[in-house]
Amino acid sequence: MRIKYGSFLLLIGLTFIVAACEDDGYVVPEGARNLSNDCIKRSLGPNVVGNEIAFAYAMALPADLGNLSSARVEASIAGAAGTYLEHRSFYTHSGGIVPSTGDEREGGADIGIVVGSPSVTNDKITEVTFVKDTCASTLRYYYVIPEEAKGKAVSFTFSATASNGESVSYKMGPYEVGNIEMKREIVLTNDSYFSISDFEVYDETQAAANPEKVDLIYLYRSIGGINFGHALVSPGADSEFLPGLTVPTGLNNKTHIRKDSGSRDQHLAQDRYGVFVDDVDLYEIDLSAHPFYGLDLRNESGVWLETADGKYKAYIYVNEVDNAAGSMTVSVKRLLID
Amino acid sequence: MKNVVFSFILGLLAVSLIRCTEYPIDEDGLLITGRSDCYISSFELLGADHQIVRVGAAAIDTVELTVDVMVLYGTDLRNLYPQFSLAQDAKLDPKVDGVVDFSDLENPKQYTVVSGNRKVRKFYTVNVSVQQKQ
Repeated sequence: MRIKYGSFLLLIGLTFIVAACEDDGYVVPEGARNLSNDCIKRSLGPNVVGNEIAFAYAMALPADLGNLSSARVEASIAGAAGTYLEHRSFYTHSGGIVPSTGDEREGGADIGIVVGSPSVTNDKITEVTFVKDTCASTLRYYYVIPEEAKGKAVSFTFSATASNGESVSYKMGPYEVGNIEMKREIVLTNDSYFSISDFEVYDETQAAANPEKVDLIYLYRSIGGINFGHALVSPGADSEFLPGLTVPTGLNNKTHIRKDSGSRDQHLAQDRYGVFVDDVDLYEIDLSAHPFYGLDLRNESGVWLETADGKYKAYIYVNEVDNAAGSMTVSVKRLLID
Repeated sequence: MKNVVFSFILGLLAVSLIRCTEYPIDEDGLLITGRSDCYISSFELLGADHQIVRVGAAAIDTVELTVDVMVLYGTDLRNLYPQFSLAQDAKLDPKVDGVVDFSDLENPKQYTVVSGNRKVRKFYTVNVSVQQKQ
């Protein structure tokens, strides 16, 4: 009985082994026999007026069917100046001499091969005409977000045509564009006056002529016993925090300020860091319990602020402080709250 | 063999008896232990930007039950995050669950440290002073 039972199990086992050894034959999948396309969005983060939205648009057809004739992108809202479609197809270099240019480049370099004539933009449409006999290409598209797109959604239709008359298209979006406004690389010199509402730096005379516009005063002070350093102070703050400065008459805005060392916005920090300050951050932040000054600001730190009239909230990122020159370079994102 | 099995069962019983000895839990879900230690071992103050605003070390007096700490000039005293390290199993009352307003320097904040056995309570005063210009 024990032998019969054992033989039965052995038979079952062998059956499984034989069945498992039957391998399905692999067949190399065939590519599409027509013009195909695909697209990815390359840029990350919230969409802010003045910034780019970047895409990579790929198109190909079998070599025996013809070559690519043209590629174009139609945006639902015309892009701002600087919007373009690359006329080069890029690959990642493995290092050494670049065949197309003869230059020596490091491995990992982004190498562009010209495949078309430089793009032509006409209102909402940006187009590249291929000049090289190529059946596959990936072109990058950079859309500069225009002022007209603020608070709206923008979408894109990518399309390609081939020499055999075929055409394809690919829709991307819609993408919401925030209401945030941005200005980068503003240089503040010692005792200068800054307006959030018009993104302008004033000297004393200009500030005196526009007292209602001045939200902040930039000071650099080296004071014994304390860390004052580079500071942003409201004109209406206690004079203790405006040492050595006589504020022109009429400047009394009290801007609430909160220091923040962790929110290093990528848009403001020259594409470093992975943090983005978005509309919702500025809408939701409550600064009413915060003081009217931010002292001892350092490289890569920042402040959140709300103007005295409650009209604007903003985030200021410190790009660079210069102790020798007594200056500070900042980049700002602001949101109109009304 | 029988002796081995008997010893094993006996061992299991002993372990399970020990496991059944549970400490009681207080209203915060924390174990009430046998420890009577009751003190603050270290103290830190962070500003609204979560950076340290303390100047020098905080002076903790476990006899006078005071914590004296100086903060940077210009520190926003209304928005500070205190951090306490306590004796093992002790807890703090009131709990720190967000920013604390230390701006009333005339009436310093008071915190009670409660020992692990919840029988010893010590009332600490946190005195904040602000760095001054020289």
